[in-house]
Amino acid sequence: MALIEKLQRRIIDLGLLPRIVRFLPKLSILCGILGICWLTLLLPLEGQYRHTYISENALMPSQAYSYFRETEWNILRGYRTQIQVLEEKSSKERNEVVASWFQEFGAKTAFYEDDLHGNTMYGVLHAPRGDGTEAMVLAAPWYNGDGEYNIGGAALATALSRFFSRWPVWSKNIIIVFSDDPEASLRSWVHAYHTSLDLTGGSIESAVVLDYPGSNDFFKYVEIYYAGLNGELPNLDLVNVAVHITEHEGMKVSLNGVSEEEMEKRNYFSKMKTMMVGVKKMALSGVQSCYGNEAFSGWRIQAIVLRARGTDGPFDITTFGRIPEATFRSVNNLLEKFHQSFFFYLLLAPRYFVSIASYLPAAVAFSVSFIVATLDCVLKSGASNTPAFSVHNLSAVIGFTVALLLSFALSILFSHWQYSSLLISCNAVIAVLPAIFGRQGIEASHSYQFKSVAFLYLSVVLTSLLVINFALAFGIGLLAFPLILVKAPMTSRQRVKNTILLILSNPFISTLLFVNTFEPQLSGLQLFHRLVQAWQKLGCWTWSVVCIGWLPSWLLVACSGIPMPYQPVGGPSQRLGSSTKKTQ
Amino acid sequence: MNLRELQVVFACLASRFGAAAVFPLLQQQLDRSVEFSTPVTSFRSLQEGVFLLQNDFPLYSGGVMHHAPLLVALMSTFNSNTLISLLFTCADSAIAYQLIAMAKCFQNLHLPAWVPGALYVINPLVLLSSVSRSTVVFSNLAISTALLSALQGKAVLSAASIAVAAYLSLYPLLLLVPILTLLPKDRFKTVAITFTTLAGLLLSSYKINDENWNYLFSTYGVIITFSKIIPNLGLWWYFFVELFEMFIPFFKAVFNLFIVSCIIPFSLRFHKQPFYAFILCLCWITLTKSYPTLGEGGFLLSFVPFFRPLFGYFRYSVISTLLFIHVSVLSPVFYHLWVDLGSGNSNFFYAISLVYALGLATVLVDLVWAMLRIEYDKGKPNLNLKLTPI
Repeated sequence: MALIEKLQRRIIDLGLLPRIVRFLPKLSILCGILGICWLTLLLPLEGQYRHTYISENALMPSQAYSYFRETEWNILRGYRTQIQVLEEKSSKERNEVVASWFQEFGAKTAFYEDDLHGNTMYGVLHAPRGDGTEAMVLAAPWYNGDGEYNIGGAALATALSRFFSRWPVWSKNIIIVFSDDPEASLRSWVHAYHTSLDLTGGSIESAVVLDYPGSNDFFKYVEIYYAGLNGELPNLDLVNVAVHITEHEGMKVSLNGVSEEEMEKRNYFSKMKTMMVGVKKMALSGVQSCYGNEAFSGWRIQAIVLRARGTDGPFDITTFGRIPEATFRSVNNLLEKFHQSFFFYLLLAPRYFVSIASYLPAAVAFSVSFIVATLDCVLKSGASNTPAFSVHNLSAVIGFTVALLLSFALSILFSHWQYSSLLISCNAVIAVLPAIFGRQGIEASHSYQFKSVAFLYLSVVLTSLLVINFALAFGIGLLAFPLILVKAPMTSRQRVKNTILLILSNPFISTLLFVNTFEPQLSGLQLFHRLVQAWQKLGCWTWSVVCIGWLPSWLLVACSGIPMPYQPVGGPSQRLGSSTKKTQ
Repeated sequence: MNLRELQVVFACLASRFGAAAVFPLLQQQLDRSVEFSTPVTSFRSLQEGVFLLQNDFPLYSGGVMHHAPLLVALMSTFNSNTLISLLFTCADSAIAYQLIAMAKCFQNLHLPAWVPGALYVINPLVLLSSVSRSTVVFSNLAISTALLSALQGKAVLSAASIAVAAYLSLYPLLLLVPILTLLPKDRFKTVAITFTTLAGLLLSSYKINDENWNYLFSTYGVIITFSKIIPNLGLWWYFFVELFEMFIPFFKAVFNLFIVSCIIPFSLRFHKQPFYAFILCLCWITLTKSYPTLGEGGFLLSFVPFFRPLFGYFRYSVISTLLFIHVSVLSPVFYHLWVDLGSGNSNFFYAISLVYALGLATVLVDLVWAMLRIEYDKGKPNLNLKLTPI
């Protein structure tokens, strides 16, 4: 305490305080830039990231010999031929046929009928060892995230379950799920499993989704997807196990669909790119096409997707089958839950990661930057000089309440009537308003108060998202950052600048621009439709967060450039803009 | 009581009752949240007690009841949901009214008398605590009654209220010390009445509880020994989760001493500003007690407007505001990460309860500093003189 006191005296003696206060606007910009650089430039540097390791010793990936080999190939091919024929049938008929196969080798089967999302079949293999309170899920959606018929995946799931059923080693139940698609119907099954289904196999510990479209025997490399909904990630141990096993079998691993050429490189830029692709995938998970692991989010289930890529290559389909086999053997060894504190990470390569303490400062920097901007605005608005309950001080709070209610209404209304172009044009018009109405000049305190409330709210939203959904916090921080640069419109040049900044930081326009630049899957105005769908069908909050967390602040900053109808209370107040010039 | 004050009290009634009526599920939701409900204050366990009492089961042998027997008996006379809601609303409105009445006791407040009451009404922490039907509202009511009647010089009522507050949640008994500085003439009388009332309450509880003293441990013993280890926003729980068994009794004693330690020093040092000493003691108890809730924090913050003349001296007001905002947003988030998603762990939530403690501590430090400064400036605020200013 004495040290702090001494430091404080020293700061006063040197007269640093007024300097710091003057430096605040620059400090907030600096914080933002620091945040961007931290994640993109610093983390991929040698020494910032670490080699992945298996935290839970019991997992022992690839320690046991994998038996799913060429002997099973013929059975697999048989199922595959049959499944190929079933493509024309409805999902219900397909499921009935597959259920009959399952009953042949003694699995219990049941159907889950959902009016909206079709028929889902699942089978349970009860564990020969163990009390049957825990389960592992092997899912094979009939159609994968790209809409291709998942022949290989379904055949593999059937052949693997037949293979598993003959084995006495299991201490956890194995549940095999055949849903219509990897998005809503799988999620609806997972939801039903935890609420209403009769045939269950205990709490699900892990889930592996198989994605092997086409009837090709050979493939080139394996893609692993792991980013769940709402910023959830599976335990890093599970991802590590999958990567370890895949590489142990000699296959190459790509994370989050990084292209084949990129995968081969192991330099600074490829690490940066892989990490940024992972962050983008996390931020847009549920909005981009889902491959299946998203369906398991929110139930404490560690889920990953294994995708076979390429139609020819050195590896046959049984090699692919050995990945889920060995993963299940590993998870089967677990006596407890997956290790805690292994849920927050970014992967830079299949074998390199950064943990939360290293990457969190990137998003914290944005939060701090908005807080500093708030402080700056509060100090400049001179709030302490005016009475606490004047119209002055309350107008910003009332404005904020109105903006919040408007944003909330918009988020509800838009999910019913999706006029994307109307949404964009309305926002663009609001962004231009300050340039039109702000010509008479703005009262300084009004402008600063509105901005201080806006920045405070945005900072609180970012802070609350930090740990829950890092990627979204970082993304919103990054895209909303231009708001800080909006200044009171002194000159016409500044007004034009403000308009551009407002357009760039608008929640809808900026995300649209971002997605159209970096995400070919979501070109055009599809984004909003997908956001609303992700909210309605999967329970992904991104749409609400963007509407309720970001839009009110943007509206307030836009309003800070529009003069308010009331008269200033008490004393001569400072006015900014053209009228100031006239009085001079 | 003028029109504006009536409006404030009516707004309090309407907001509490309206919130409970419009969002009927909110009560249960809040009652399950660790920020607003603890085993010793939760409405759920109170309802259970009412059920046990009405069916002639022994109240305290099951180990789930930690409410005082007379409170359970009182609640069992209300059988309709609306009536119960009205009871909690009225208790809260009475606090708002008493805050207004307190403001009238000070001449040089530089604030209209209705402002502290209005701030209490719009304080979201108090609003949510009241909607959650936490029994904190009753002990808060007793404390504010004691303070108001001490300010008005009514020693008997003040002493009796402190006894009721102590009966409901034990630690307010410590507030008797600053009450004595508020009532310098009738010290002996105050002490005597407090203990007579308390003895009366305890004896009648003994009668109600089938002539069994076991309620003493279930209500007060649990508060002192912290035997129900459940996460809350306080400083205690994490300690006793992590500690080796043999050290636990020692540290329980230390924590209890810690609560008592600052009461007499505050009361002695600021005996010339007894109201202020009372608030400091209240803040200290809120900070260090074993089962704190945000309702108590909100109640405490409602007294800050009374120090309007000192506002110029506050050094950390921005920091404490930010701390409170972040605590109220992050504590549910971190609890969700720990308990629902399983990706976080208890350290996350404890970190937030430390931040909450830091927020209360900055308020405490600021208040002490401001009072010492105004003493230094001989009662006339001299904001231009910078000692170690910020």
